[in-house]
Amino acid sequence: MIQDIYAIYLREMIRIKRSRVRLVTTMVMPLLWLGIIGNAFNSAFKIVMPVDFISFLTPGIMVMTMVFTGTISGITTVFDREFGFLKEMLVAPVRRESVLIGKMLGGVTQSIFQGIIILILGFIMGMKLVSSSPVMAVAGMLLTMLLVSMAFVSFGLAVASKMSSMEGFQMVMNFMIQPMVFLSGAFYPVSSLPGWLQWGVKVNPLTYGVDAMRYFSINLHEFPIWLDFSVLAVFSAALITLGGWAFRKS
Amino acid sequence: MVAIETTELTKKFDGFTAVDGINLKINKGELFALLGPNGAGKTTTISMLATLLKPTDGKTLVNGYDAVKEADKVRQSIGIVFQDPSLDDQLTARENLDIHGRLYHMHREERRKKIDEALEMVDLSERADSIVKTFSGGMRRRLEIARGLMHSPEVLFLDEPTLGLDPQTRRHIWEYIKKLNGEGVTVLLTTHYMEEADALADRVMIMDRGKIVAEGKPSALKDSIGGDVIKILCDNPEGLKKAITDCKCRVTAEPVVTDGELIINVQRAEETIPKIFTISNKESIEVKSITYKEPSLEDVFLHYTGRAYREEEGNEKERMKMRVRVIRGRK
Repeated sequence: MIQDIYAIYLREMIRIKRSRVRLVTTMVMPLLWLGIIGNAFNSAFKIVMPVDFISFLTPGIMVMTMVFTGTISGITTVFDREFGFLKEMLVAPVRRESVLIGKMLGGVTQSIFQGIIILILGFIMGMKLVSSSPVMAVAGMLLTMLLVSMAFVSFGLAVASKMSSMEGFQMVMNFMIQPMVFLSGAFYPVSSLPGWLQWGVKVNPLTYGVDAMRYFSINLHEFPIWLDFSVLAVFSAALITLGGWAFRKS
Repeated sequence: MVAIETTELTKKFDGFTAVDGINLKINKGELFALLGPNGAGKTTTISMLATLLKPTDGKTLVNGYDAVKEADKVRQSIGIVFQDPSLDDQLTARENLDIHGRLYHMHREERRKKIDEALEMVDLSERADSIVKTFSGGMRRRLEIARGLMHSPEVLFLDEPTLGLDPQTRRHIWEYIKKLNGEGVTVLLTTHYMEEADALADRVMIMDRGKIVAEGKPSALKDSIGGDVIKILCDNPEGLKKAITDCKCRVTAEPVVTDGELIINVQRAEETIPKIFTISNKESIEVKSITYKEPSLEDVFLHYTGRAYREEEGNEKERMKMRVRVIRGRK
C-alpha cells in the first residue's frame, strides 16, 4: 500500500519538476498582488492596523496561492484520464485508494511548496513575523497549509471527475474559486465590513483558513483559533470525502 | 491449460448491448486475435477481461482467477497495451517503466534488470532517458509494449497494437508480438486489420455487433466459406444474383450484393465463370468486369455477416483525440 502510494507520488513529483512553466504561471498573480497592491497600500494601512500591509497581505496571498495550486493540481487528473495514464494506474494491482492518496499528496506537496515560496517572497518584501514562539508559528502555519491544500486538491479531484476536458476549468476558477478567495478576507480586514459582505465572508470556510494563517504569522485574528481549526477540519474532511467518492466513481 | 475462459460474457450500456453473451476459451501459449470492425465490442471485451469494466452478466476466468472477485490477482498476472496511448509523456521512457515496475511490486534490482531487458527488446535502449513527448507514434507504441511485458505477465492483452502506424513499424511490432508468444506468453490481441489477424494469430474470433460471428484457425475459416470468391461488376447485380440462384449453379454460399458488386463463393472459379457469362448473356445483363481470388478473412466476414467489412469513421471525440495526439507528437 505505502509502496503503491509512493509510486504514484513519485510520478507526480517528476511531473511537477518538469512543468516549470506551470510553476511560474501560477506565481504571477500572487506576485502582482504582493509586489504592487502590497506596496501600494503599505503606508496607508499602518494608520488603521497594528501591522503593515505586506505583513497583513502575505498570509492571505499564501492561502490564495495554495487554493489555486491545489485546485489546479486536482483538476489535472482530467489529463490523466484524457491521455490515458489513469488506465495504466487502474489496471495495475493497486487499490484505488492508493492512487487517490498518492495524487492527493502530490498536489498537497506542490501547493504547500508554493505557499512557502510566497512566504519567503513576503519576507524579502519586508514582512515581519509577529509571534512569541517561532516553533509554534511554523507548526501552526504548516498545519493550516496542510488543511487548506488537502481541501482544495480534493475539490479539484471532485471537479475533474465531472469534467471531460479542460474546457470547464475557467468556469470553475471564475465562478467558484475566485469569489471564494475574494470573500475570504485574504486582501482586507474583515472586522468592519458592511452587513451583506460580512455575512458572505463569515459563511466562507476559507475565511477561517486565512484567519488561522494570520494568527500564527502576525498574531492578528478575528475569530478564536479553535473555531478556525474546527471549520477548516470539517471543510477539509467534507471535501476529501467528496473528492474520494467522485474519484472512485469516475 | 486454459488461460482465459468466459461464459456468456455480456456488457450493456444504458440498454445498448456492446457485448452479447460471449463464450471464449483461450489456451496457454496461444496467440489469439479478436477481429471485427470498429464498434464490434472488442475493446469492451478486453476491458472486462482486464478488470477495467464490470460485466453486466457472465463469468470470466483469467489465469484461473475470477475477473470480478479476484481482480487484484488477475491484474498482477496480466499485461495490457491499450488502444489509446497511456504513457505519461512528461516522463522519460525509463521513468515510465520504473513507475510501472513499482506499481507491480517489483524490487529495485529486478526493476532495473527488467527495464533494460524490455527496452532492449523493443530497440529503445538508446532513448531510455529521453522524455516520451519527443517520441514518434511507433516508438510510443513500442514503449507501451515494453511496459506491458516488463512484469512478466502470463497473458498479454494488446488492443489494436498497430493502429495508425506505418507499414514498416507495423511489421516490427508484429515481430515483437511473435517473439513474445514464442517465449510462452499467451497473447490476446484485438484488431480491425484483417491481414494482421491473418499474419499473426493461431486462432481468430470474428466479432460483429457484440456477437461472435465465426471462430477458428484463419485457414480453416477461409476454407469454411469454400473455394474461391468471384466479384462481378455489372449493370444489374440483383438481377444476376437472382438468375444465378435460380439456375442452381454450385455456389457454396448465398450470393451477396455489396457496393454494386455481386459476390459469389464457389468451389472452382475457373469453371463457374464461363457459366456466369452464359447466364448474363441470356438475361442480357452487361458484365463490366469479373475478378476472382482465394478467400481472405474479409470474405469470411462478409460471408458470415452479409455486410462488407469497412473501417467506419471514428466519432467526433476520437478524431479530436487523434488530432491532439498529432499536435502533441509534433512538439
